Amino acid sequence: MARYIIRRLFTMVITMLVVSIVIFAVVEIAPGNVARNILGAYATPEQEKSMENQLGLDRPVATRYISWLFGSDWQAERKIGRPLKEIVIQQGIVERFRQWWAVDEDGSLVRWGIQDGQLYKYIRQPDGSTVGVPDEGAWRTDESGIQYFWGVDNANRAALWIKGQGGVEYRYEYSGWRKSENAPVDYIPLTKGLLRGDAGVSLRYRAPVSELIASRLKNSGILAALAFLVSIPLGLLLGLLAGLNEGKPADRILSLFGLVTTASPDFATGIFLIMIFSLWLKVLPGATVFASQTAILDNPKMLVLPVLTASLVEMGYILRITRASVVEVVQSNYVRTAVLKGLSRTQVVLRHVLRNSLLAPITVIMLHVNWLIGGLVVVESVFGYPGLGNFILNAALYKDVYAIEAASMFLILLAVGTQLIADIIYSFLNPRVRYA
Amino acid sequence: MSEKKLHPIIQEAQEQLRNGRISRRDFIRISTLLGMSAVSAAALAACAPKETATPAPATSAPAATETPVPPTATSAPAATPTPAGMPVRGGTLKASTRVERVDHPARFSLVSQSHAWRHVFEYLTYIDAKGIVHPYLLESWEASDDLLTWKLNLRKGIKFNNGKELTADDVVFNFNQWLDVNVGSSLLGQMSYLDASGVEKVDDYTVVLHLKSPSITVPYDMYHYGALIVPKEFEGDITRQPIGTGAFTMAEYVPGERCRLVRREGYWRNGVDGKPLPYLDEIIMVQLGEDPTAGLSALKTGEVDTVIEPPVTVWQGIKDDPNFVIISTPTSATRVLRVRVDQEPWTDNRVRLALKHCHNREKILALALMGEGTIGNDSHVAPAHPEYCPVEPFPYDPEKAKALLAEAGYPDGLDVTLTVVSDWPESMAYAQALKEDAAPAGFRITLNTMPASQFWDGWTEWNMSITWWAHRPLAIMTLPLAYISRDGQPVPWNESRWVDAEFEQLLQEALRTLDLEKRREIMCKLETIQKERGSICTPFFMNVWTIHSKKVHDVPPSPEEYVVYYETWKEA
Repeated sequence: MARYIIRRLFTMVITMLVVSIVIFAVVEIAPGNVARNILGAYATPEQEKSMENQLGLDRPVATRYISWLFGSDWQAERKIGRPLKEIVIQQGIVERFRQWWAVDEDGSLVRWGIQDGQLYKYIRQPDGSTVGVPDEGAWRTDESGIQYFWGVDNANRAALWIKGQGGVEYRYEYSGWRKSENAPVDYIPLTKGLLRGDAGVSLRYRAPVSELIASRLKNSGILAALAFLVSIPLGLLLGLLAGLNEGKPADRILSLFGLVTTASPDFATGIFLIMIFSLWLKVLPGATVFASQTAILDNPKMLVLPVLTASLVEMGYILRITRASVVEVVQSNYVRTAVLKGLSRTQVVLRHVLRNSLLAPITVIMLHVNWLIGGLVVVESVFGYPGLGNFILNAALYKDVYAIEAASMFLILLAVGTQLIADIIYSFLNPRVRYA
Repeated sequence: MSEKKLHPIIQEAQEQLRNGRISRRDFIRISTLLGMSAVSAAALAACAPKETATPAPATSAPAATETPVPPTATSAPAATPTPAGMPVRGGTLKASTRVERVDHPARFSLVSQSHAWRHVFEYLTYIDAKGIVHPYLLESWEASDDLLTWKLNLRKGIKFNNGKELTADDVVFNFNQWLDVNVGSSLLGQMSYLDASGVEKVDDYTVVLHLKSPSITVPYDMYHYGALIVPKEFEGDITRQPIGTGAFTMAEYVPGERCRLVRREGYWRNGVDGKPLPYLDEIIMVQLGEDPTAGLSALKTGEVDTVIEPPVTVWQGIKDDPNFVIISTPTSATRVLRVRVDQEPWTDNRVRLALKHCHNREKILALALMGEGTIGNDSHVAPAHPEYCPVEPFPYDPEKAKALLAEAGYPDGLDVTLTVVSDWPESMAYAQALKEDAAPAGFRITLNTMPASQFWDGWTEWNMSITWWAHRPLAIMTLPLAYISRDGQPVPWNESRWVDAEFEQLLQEALRTLDLEKRREIMCKLETIQKERGSICTPFFMNVWTIHSKKVHDVPPSPEEYVVYYETWKEA
């Protein structure tokens, strides 16, 4: 058993690596220039080139892939010769952001910049301000006698300055375009890499992608978990009832119910439910208004209709699959044998029918975990629910590349992970799978 | 105010008012534009029907020396009918809108980016629902006779929410930001009459603008949605420095999800109860996604009190519901179908004319807006503009269009791709109606639909597309944004690249003409030029709605769809 699981885990890692290469390649190769997307239509070629340099888009694809996955700080540390450190800064109540600093010999956090043609070292003070001191001694000389210096600049990048040879930098950060001469000539954007939890900064929201996804995932997770809690037990139970009563009125009604709920699209179901429960009976809110971070706790009633919409569709599927599976198992030889040898009906159902007919529904359920977390776009749109599905849709529409990359990696991990869990449950239910 | 101190154009306008050539509303609009307070302008207008030879009575208060008392809600900016009963203090207003990622207010490119921030920051002036401009952070302004020098007098004692007083230095800083090409503000095009060197600080409360060319739109331009006044220490990102003079502070701002504004103490304006505004304790704005259904059901079930910038679907869902207040206001907002005149096939004016003849305007208005709008004549001048000249649009004539296309070298018709935003139902309805109606003439239109976000990424680049244009109170404010050139290049927002020497010259003239009748004459020519050889089709101008629950009171309707909840209150 352990060997089986380890083998599966290993396959999973390989799958994820291949997938990451594919995702990276697709996003990189896809038409649309990242720099131009950020800059808009009026950027000049020089501005575009400068932006590509600043984003590290001019580095080799393999280097960028490795940085995206494993981070670039260790690469930069080698060039700078000092350890680097990322700190989180909370400014006001509105925004949180991260900053990269180099750690100096005495433990203080430092950055560099050029001021009046001289290299300056900026030392971070405890209150967040910086004190600049000339650092002309830090220049290094290469074989051809050029003086250069690798340091950290004030925009979370490792930067290469060359004495007397300023690059031209166009920065689109604060008050629009800021052109500066004497700028670094090369950059390495600093990141910890996806595997270390840093998925980059969203181009659209200018906030760390991992934080954005985490907050959306929490919302989607709650919705999906509740939908599962409602739909799985009910679906299995009703499916079992229908299957055991094949052809009787109970089966007919339940089968019809399952057919109707799976056949009606979720946006229609959602709108019907809003019309009935919100507009006509006026008992439930018709939209999920997240007025605060804790809105779900403050007003749990607003989750009822989205959960119901998602579970109705899901429940119909589970019901129909379970019913079909139960009908098949009931007709099998071993069930007949069990009945003939005198076991009670309860024992037959619990020990023989249930266990064998669960295989098919579990496949469906596990495949749907993924769908429920990332694929509830329609339900989320109808109720205005800030979930992951909506987030990915918008990220794709706005070409927010880092968000797309991170979110798709996450969803694939979820798909592969749930499949692994499904396989493990299988192997418990059906020992034959273990040796297949 | 003695008569000789009245601006000569005010006297002229009064003459016109007496002769019935302009309406009372137009008179008030002109007078207040030139620095007379609305109250005294109304007093002056009241004198008009009398047969007196000397029009200005000594009783009218001079606007230039208004006392610097903070106005109460009923005096300066409030123009809304106050319902019976005193406003109730406290409570939370919930609104559905978009919460966008923003940085510099001057770089706002959509009204929706400004809704939340208008409660933290304020404008120098204020335009009410009737199109009359009032001083706001300014106490008054005075224009020179040649309209080249504008003296702005700042109200004293206004404090930012960090305790610092608003002074002329801050105002000068803001003008410099708007006029800095590196900031990239649309105000740069709007204030084409001004250079940063022409902004002069006289003393702590006085700023003088020295214009390059005369303009009458100065007070209007200061109410552009991006012209929010920031302190001079501003570094370019309001989410990092939410320091304004407004009545609320930003407590939480999560782009794409929500923001929360909290009442601040020490705001400079008082409510009708004599205590400082605002009445509300808190405003929460939530983004319910791209689908308007969520907004409608949230409104219907009372989850939100109002939907900001309600789309037609929300109006439809609410219009027969007695629990809501709906105010319908005609505007100059429209969906402009524009074609790139520097690209085939639109370089030939006959093709553009053919397209204009393919518009069945009544049908488009009915389909796109359910009749809630006014008909346009393919110029960017709306009937809602005071200077509008009634120029008849081309009738629907596919035969004529076919002939024009044949003349232009397309006897078998031609294929064109129309880029439309799928999120804007009126654009979609317009595009579909046009696709059908233009087919007999030989236009084979392929619709290229996309979400708004993707569209805006390259909105000036499409060959043929329908662009969302916001309302502007005067036509001469829109035209210089999109239909002129600067230094030989089309201005940044000139999405069709259409440049016409005669049009530009006439427009410059219109910009110098305060006299409404004379300006209307120029407008006739401008509209005709745009209709006959311009690059746009404007089959309709839209009405906008202010929609909110009956529990909410004193939401000022605004053709600009600027939301201002300073004087809004909610029944407990």
